[in-house]
Amino acid sequence: MSAIKLTWEDRSVNFIAVLLSAVLLIATAYPLYYVLINSLNDGADAARGHIYLYPRVFSLENYQMVFKQQYLVTGLGMSFARTVVGTVAAVLVTAMAAYALTKEKLKFRKLYLMLAIITMYFSGGLIPLYFVLSELHLLDNFLVYILPSLFTFFHCLLFMAFFRELPKELFESAYVDGAGELFVFFRIVIPLSMPVVATISLFVGVNHWNDYFIPSFFITKENLQTLPVILIRLLSLSEAQQQIQQYLGNHQSKVTMESLRYATLFVSVLPITLLYPMVQRYFVKGMLVGSIKA
Amino acid sequence: MQQAKTKGIRNGGNQITLQLMILPALLTILIFSYLPMFGIVIAFKDYNVLDGFFAGKWVGLAHFREMFADERFQSALRNTLGMSSIKLILTFMAPVLFALILNEIPFARYKKWAQTLTTLPHFLSYVIIATLTMIFLDPKGIVNGVLQGLGIIDQPIEFLADPGHFWTLGASLDLWQETGWGAIIYLAAITGINTEIYEAAKVDGAGRLRTIWHINLPAIKGTIMVLLILNIGSIIYGGSNFNQSYLLGNVFNRDTSYVLGYYTLDNGLLQMRYAFATAVDLFQSVVSLVLLLLANWGAKKLNGSNIF
Repeated sequence: MSAIKLTWEDRSVNFIAVLLSAVLLIATAYPLYYVLINSLNDGADAARGHIYLYPRVFSLENYQMVFKQQYLVTGLGMSFARTVVGTVAAVLVTAMAAYALTKEKLKFRKLYLMLAIITMYFSGGLIPLYFVLSELHLLDNFLVYILPSLFTFFHCLLFMAFFRELPKELFESAYVDGAGELFVFFRIVIPLSMPVVATISLFVGVNHWNDYFIPSFFITKENLQTLPVILIRLLSLSEAQQQIQQYLGNHQSKVTMESLRYATLFVSVLPITLLYPMVQRYFVKGMLVGSIKA
Repeated sequence: MQQAKTKGIRNGGNQITLQLMILPALLTILIFSYLPMFGIVIAFKDYNVLDGFFAGKWVGLAHFREMFADERFQSALRNTLGMSSIKLILTFMAPVLFALILNEIPFARYKKWAQTLTTLPHFLSYVIIATLTMIFLDPKGIVNGVLQGLGIIDQPIEFLADPGHFWTLGASLDLWQETGWGAIIYLAAITGINTEIYEAAKVDGAGRLRTIWHINLPAIKGTIMVLLILNIGSIIYGGSNFNQSYLLGNVFNRDTSYVLGYYTLDNGLLQMRYAFATAVDLFQSVVSLVLLLLANWGAKKLNGSNIF
């Protein structure tokens, strides 16, 4: 086994590739790391600044503070509820529709596809949607998080592309044994489609977790607000200041509004940071199949 | 005969099951996509909440005339087109370059890490990105600190308070957020290239750079065209434009940060000028549809690739 001799060109290409990717890597990772170390630092000390590489005075007080704030805990819970319910429901609805749409014998198949395609390119806009939601009593209702996003045609296309690649023989033998479509869908198709289910779940889940538009404009009730809206309020520091003053009224604490903001930021980034690498390995596979078809 | 009959019944049963499987999706788009489309009529009416959709006087194109005469609309339109164009120019090729670079990295594990981490920002909430931006670009923040430390600038740059920086700031944020994500699709196309082609190129004496230029780049040309078309189609809605405008816009940078999405929101949900805001939205929808069709038609003329 002799090593292949690298030419001068090979070496320089390797060097430049590693260098450039490292620049982007650091530019991406550092801001998040910066938030982490500042959130783990004592608030009063962090106010002196210059915390760049590791926490200077380690403290978990910021995080304790986050979980003591009633409005933050409620927001966190609502974000979780919305994300879990919304994702499960949307993936189910979209996958079922995609399965039916891959069946040639489905009546009105062309019509359904046409109806769905149009939604990708044209919409009624914000105000008419607002009126529809209002008429259906969905404003200030938890369901406004779930129902409008039950179906996305782009995700449906990805599902369809994947389902079409599944070996036909599997279905045929199930049909011969007298299995119905629901049995085939839940017991055969879904278990074989985990890469695309995982990918779409991540897409949908992230949209739910990150969205601030619906809670900002379609929700006014305080107990239905999600984490991103609370983060927006923390953006305007004066509000954060008030919250802290309230808290400081009866406690001794070195938490500052800045440090509370860092901790909240990190709490809201964490679920995605943990989930995403697990799903990521499916991307290339799932997306490639999808992009060829779409 | 008997067998054919049972088969017929079973197929009938399956047809109903299939229809039921598609029903929830169908209802979703009918209620939340098609029902609002009827609401568009108010763009041509003198709409009053109390009267309902079908009352109200027809006013023809009055709302549109008012819109074009409004100085703030003109500013929003200018900002939308300006910001989207700058983003298209500055960010479109970045994922292509990054995919080509990633593909040349000789260490598999490092390559995997680089790919995973640079894709992460795509999944972050814009609220988080906006907060990070404010923290990092603060006059007393780390970016100004580094620039001053290196002696590149004397005075801190007011990134968010100076209207002159907003468009490039928006493009830079897109670069930060989407380069890694955009590269995935190109990288998948490059990975799919038949290895025999590389071996043949090697035998012919092609080095790494020539291989990139003559094999990798042509392999992703089609994908580049498709994404370019989609990007041109979204110039009016402009991906991150609204997020940046809404979350990073302020009284100081308003001249360059105020975009059409925000203008609609302002007039519609905040000032409750429903009919007028619907007209603005309709204008955006129609223009972006026309742009998409034009771009698609252009691409078809150019090289036969077509996304529809």
